[in-house]
Amino acid sequence: MKPRALALVTAGALVALPWVLARYQLSILTDLLIYGLFAMSLDLIIGYTGMVSFGHAAYFGLGAYGSALVLLNFEQPVPVALLAGALLAGVVAAPVAYLSTRATGIYFAMLTLAFAQLLYTVAYKWRDLTGGSDGIAGVPKTTLFWGGPSLATPQAFYLLVTVCVLLSLLACRALVRSPFGRALQAIRENERRFTSLGRDPRPFKLVVFVIAATFAGLAGALFAPFRGFASPEVMFWVLSGQVLMMVVMGGIGTLIGPVLGAMVFILIQEIASSYTEHWMIFTGVVFVLMVIFLPGGLMGLVRGRA
Amino acid sequence: MSNLVEQLLNALALAGLLFLVSAGLSVVFGVLRVVNFAHGVFYMLGAYFGFTAVALSGYFWLALVVAPPVVGVVGALLEASTLRFIYRRDPSYQLLLTFGLALILEESVRILYGNTAKSIDAPLALQGGVALLGTVYPRYRLFLVVLGLAVGVAVWLVLQRTRAGLVIRAVAQNSEMADCLGADVTRVRTLVFGAACALAGLGGVAAAPMTSAYLGMGISVIVDAFVVVVIGGLGSIVGSMAGSLIVGAAQTWGAFYLPEAAMVIIYAVMGALLIFRPWGLFGEEE
Amino acid sequence: MKRRDFLSMAGVGGVGAGLGFPAFVRGVSAATPIKIGLPTVLSGSNAQYGIQAKRACELFGKEINAKGGVLGRPLEFIYEDTGGDPATAVRKAQKLVEKDGVKFLTGTVLSSEALAVSAKCPEWKVILMSTINGAGALTAKSFNRYFFRVNTSGPMGARAISLYLAESPMKRFFGLGADYAWGRDSVGSFSAQMTAAKKEIVGKEYPPVGTKDFASYIAKIKQSKAEGVYLALPGQDSTIFLKQAHQFELTKQVKPIMEIVELENMKAVGEAMAGTIGSSRYPFTVDTPKNNAFVARFHAMHGVYPDMFDGETYEGLEWITQVFQKAGTADDVEKVIAAWEDSSYEGLEGPFFMRKCDHQAVQPGFAVEAVKDPRYPHLIPKILATYPGDKVTPKCLTEDFS
Repeated sequence: MKPRALALVTAGALVALPWVLARYQLSILTDLLIYGLFAMSLDLIIGYTGMVSFGHAAYFGLGAYGSALVLLNFEQPVPVALLAGALLAGVVAAPVAYLSTRATGIYFAMLTLAFAQLLYTVAYKWRDLTGGSDGIAGVPKTTLFWGGPSLATPQAFYLLVTVCVLLSLLACRALVRSPFGRALQAIRENERRFTSLGRDPRPFKLVVFVIAATFAGLAGALFAPFRGFASPEVMFWVLSGQVLMMVVMGGIGTLIGPVLGAMVFILIQEIASSYTEHWMIFTGVVFVLMVIFLPGGLMGLVRGRA
Repeated sequence: MSNLVEQLLNALALAGLLFLVSAGLSVVFGVLRVVNFAHGVFYMLGAYFGFTAVALSGYFWLALVVAPPVVGVVGALLEASTLRFIYRRDPSYQLLLTFGLALILEESVRILYGNTAKSIDAPLALQGGVALLGTVYPRYRLFLVVLGLAVGVAVWLVLQRTRAGLVIRAVAQNSEMADCLGADVTRVRTLVFGAACALAGLGGVAAAPMTSAYLGMGISVIVDAFVVVVIGGLGSIVGSMAGSLIVGAAQTWGAFYLPEAAMVIIYAVMGALLIFRPWGLFGEEE
Repeated sequence: MKRRDFLSMAGVGGVGAGLGFPAFVRGVSAATPIKIGLPTVLSGSNAQYGIQAKRACELFGKEINAKGGVLGRPLEFIYEDTGGDPATAVRKAQKLVEKDGVKFLTGTVLSSEALAVSAKCPEWKVILMSTINGAGALTAKSFNRYFFRVNTSGPMGARAISLYLAESPMKRFFGLGADYAWGRDSVGSFSAQMTAAKKEIVGKEYPPVGTKDFASYIAKIKQSKAEGVYLALPGQDSTIFLKQAHQFELTKQVKPIMEIVELENMKAVGEAMAGTIGSSRYPFTVDTPKNNAFVARFHAMHGVYPDMFDGETYEGLEWITQVFQKAGTADDVEKVIAAWEDSSYEGLEGPFFMRKCDHQAVQPGFAVEAVKDPRYPHLIPKILATYPGDKVTPKCLTEDFS
């Protein structure tokens, strides 16, 4: 099947699922898609620009808190909350990117971690605004637009998430295929050569970091009404580490791979933890085997490259 | 005044512990170019194996000597069976692998030892306190200061003044060239990884009388270790020492004078340093 | 067929199998089990609490099913591991409700988990029974009628020990609470009550959760010349603090007071903890025939003595099954809620009453001391004072006492 046809069929199938799947399975799929979007956003930084970030959860979290506060305090339609969350993440990411991109490699990664922990601490301690360590619960799913249909049913919310994820995927794909995207990949391949050709990598790194943060913020903004809460854990470094795993598992630099990686990562833990309380060993073994035997991640497997 | 001296000793004791944990992490990065996320778990293994050694023999000193090599062997075996195959890959893969190893090891400890924290008492010679300028200071913490210093000097001497150290440094600098010159690079890597794990294990045994051995102690120390290593500069032992002192001091004085900021102090220090010197104090400029 | 297509289909099939195909609606028959779901913590640093909930369920389940179950139906428990993460807790709770058809949830460990799950209960129309969560907000600001709290709350624990200390000769207290909701609220509650009892709070500090080195805090407590230090630290942190305080010889000069005195701590710290006083949500040393029999049965099954949440969870299970009997159903959640409100229950610790206004169970409060007893392999909580429920329970829908 040609790639474009396969893509259209998959997209069509995703949209048709609410009429096929049971309520519970639809919920799970919505969850997976949200994390898939989150992982895909990180791939822009890791896979296409070659920068490893340890602090990406901060932007997911900012999106979640932004969206939660708008929905809870102002009762706006969900898309307004999505915009608020994504913008908050993007705006905060800008100065972080500016300062962090002064460093490279592991030092860059640790700077992103430092800023993420700083934001985490703010969310944790600013109890009046964020609920502190307890977080904000009872975030409602409101409507599609002012006076529009309610998004409170699993089917409606699933469709919203699917549409957001598909549009984001298209946008990112267009981005990486553009001249800007090619410049990013050149930076990843050999940053020194890029510089020696007279071009400054920093503006590119800065812009892609902000774009990635914005998409992560969108994922977080979808998370808050879906799960009904936002708490500091969604900004914690453990989640940053987990989304990194999702990207690696799925296949770095493939956009769709990380979406699959997120799904597999979560499903493995869900299924294993329902069967045994020692599920951590099982998932650990799976990770180790995947790294050793699947150099291209899941996408490498799917594409037939071993 | 006595307060200042007490704070200073607290900072040094903490620095000593941090150094034990982070030195290995730094060397592993310098020689193997691997970011070992599982490093904290070896610290935890040291504490638990130390507990077993004390439970079986009754002697803390024995545990201090026996537990680290056992942890080192575990580390070396893991390196030889898994890590060895992915040196050429993207660092992100190494992270995923070491993360998987960390999950396996952590859960294994839980199966073996259960959920309750395991308490170790300091040996009699180190129990109690010394009278210090009007207050009582725990002998055990003084021991940690001395231990950290002794191990630091020893590791530095091995790396700088012995032939083995020379080979290790050669592999760190240029593994292909070292290979051409006859060094058994594969064996060096395994030994270095094992030694680094043993150091972390030593840190765990040393910490146990102060914190007890508990699940999650690895997670709680790994971030501190990363911060120390990055401040000091990856691959530099002297850097790890400097980083440990800086972090130890920041945490001790920070907790005392800026308690509201205690959660972020080490990140603020690291962040400030990296913004001005993006490769750490003693690291190599990229 | 191409390899890639096969793999895609295998993947979808695997996902479908893993999630479970849509459950068929089963007719309710006399033998259908009553399911109780526990989205609890079975791994990670808070696992000891989830394990207590599980132990209580195992004992109670065995006993009640041997007697024919409830309303002729066996009780079935489904355990899910949340790892202490609220997002996972909601996900697991949703699985229990939507996939397993559970109508009664319990066993949530962290306040953030309980708040997140509780907020979803009106949507799912299921009951969340707390036997562990102490956060005051759950029966105050964040209350909804699908939530029931069987256990002593944090404010109630702080109240019990405050009542005891109001009578003691100690006048100067230092508050050390971990820097998160429970730590801060507990120290706040204690401070307010001590100040009202004309005592002095000479200092308050909030170390981050997960602090490994309390040296600076110990130094501050020494400097403050406090007579007692009130601790609201999570289990592992309090173990570490007590060990280090002992090493600095702080405990010789300053009396440790804890909002929660639990066996897990006593086992981990050992004799360095002897003399610590505080509140206990369920001390297994309550000397009544009912409790002594329970302790014996628990020890026979699990080989250890019941800790706080073992007891509280057992009481919750016993009570909710009595409510099922009274309501005549375990399927109609609204009837169960109506039957539970304003109902009484004779628990292991004493008499319980479920308040209609905020679904907090009014129950006795205990001030205890950790003492050595040769009959037991670890320290035990000796009861210093028992306070009747109405003296230790806050006013309806609030966290205040006066």
